[in-house]
Amino acid sequence: MKKADKILIVCIMIVAVVLCVPLFFSKNENAYASVYVKEKQVLRIDLSKDKTYVVNGKLGKVHIEVKQKKVRVTQEKSPHHYCSKQGYVSDANVPIVCLPNETVVKIEKEASQDTVIQ
Amino acid sequence: MRVKKSVILAFLVAVGILLQLLESFVGIFMIVPGYKIGLANIAGLFALYMYDEKSLAYVSLLRIFLSSLMQGMLFSVSFWLSLSGGILACIAMILAYRSKAFSIYGVSILGASFHNIGQVIAITWIYQQYFMQLFLPILLALSIVSGILIAVVCRKVLDRLSGGNYGKI
Repeated sequence: MKKADKILIVCIMIVAVVLCVPLFFSKNENAYASVYVKEKQVLRIDLSKDKTYVVNGKLGKVHIEVKQKKVRVTQEKSPHHYCSKQGYVSDANVPIVCLPNETVVKIEKEASQDTVIQ
Repeated sequence: MRVKKSVILAFLVAVGILLQLLESFVGIFMIVPGYKIGLANIAGLFALYMYDEKSLAYVSLLRIFLSSLMQGMLFSVSFWLSLSGGILACIAMILAYRSKAFSIYGVSILGASFHNIGQVIAITWIYQQYFMQLFLPILLALSIVSGILIAVVCRKVLDRLSGGNYGKI
């Protein structure tokens, strides 16, 4: 074995370790939230950007805020304010439902299909 | 001499096909999907060191075509994976061989790791998904092991054939 071979082995090992690093930072990268008003999609929110959005609900304006890949409703007009009390949501299985405004905020992961490898 | 060379290359193709078929029967995919030792590369590496770069390209490309034809999977997904990995491995091995910096171990390791890289590129291109890149670090680390293994086997064969004085490796 020459010296270059040993250097090559070390280099490949380093590359393998370095390639592991981004895997720990890239969870939930393609998450989106969809906002439905009266069962029609009116807004599609990219959760990687912190921003506030405004949607016209049935009773008035609904303010939606995105922060650190989580989404919440900050202000809305309704008798009990259930959806703004719900706070931040980051789970795709837990939608924010604002029934008086007929508004639903739902997190959707990028469509993933099962694949078959021969 | 030309006839002798072409006959030996044909034998090497046959050895490669046999090794590839045997390996697909045994199936040593442990935890990592898609991992193979790549025994068939012994034939290609042997051709490279016995003859020249062209023989390596002949042996490994013909082996890929014929073995997938025999498995009945010509132009299927696994064929394209095999082909892309094989072409990239051939290029890497030829460049490493020409640079004269590496011994047979380095050439073999480069071939194995670039085979894996080519396969991962082909998978991401065919499926348009990135899940296979999760395995690339593990595959690269394992390719060092399999590359050394194949180089050891190939070197032994070369030693035997040249009467124990295969000096230039």
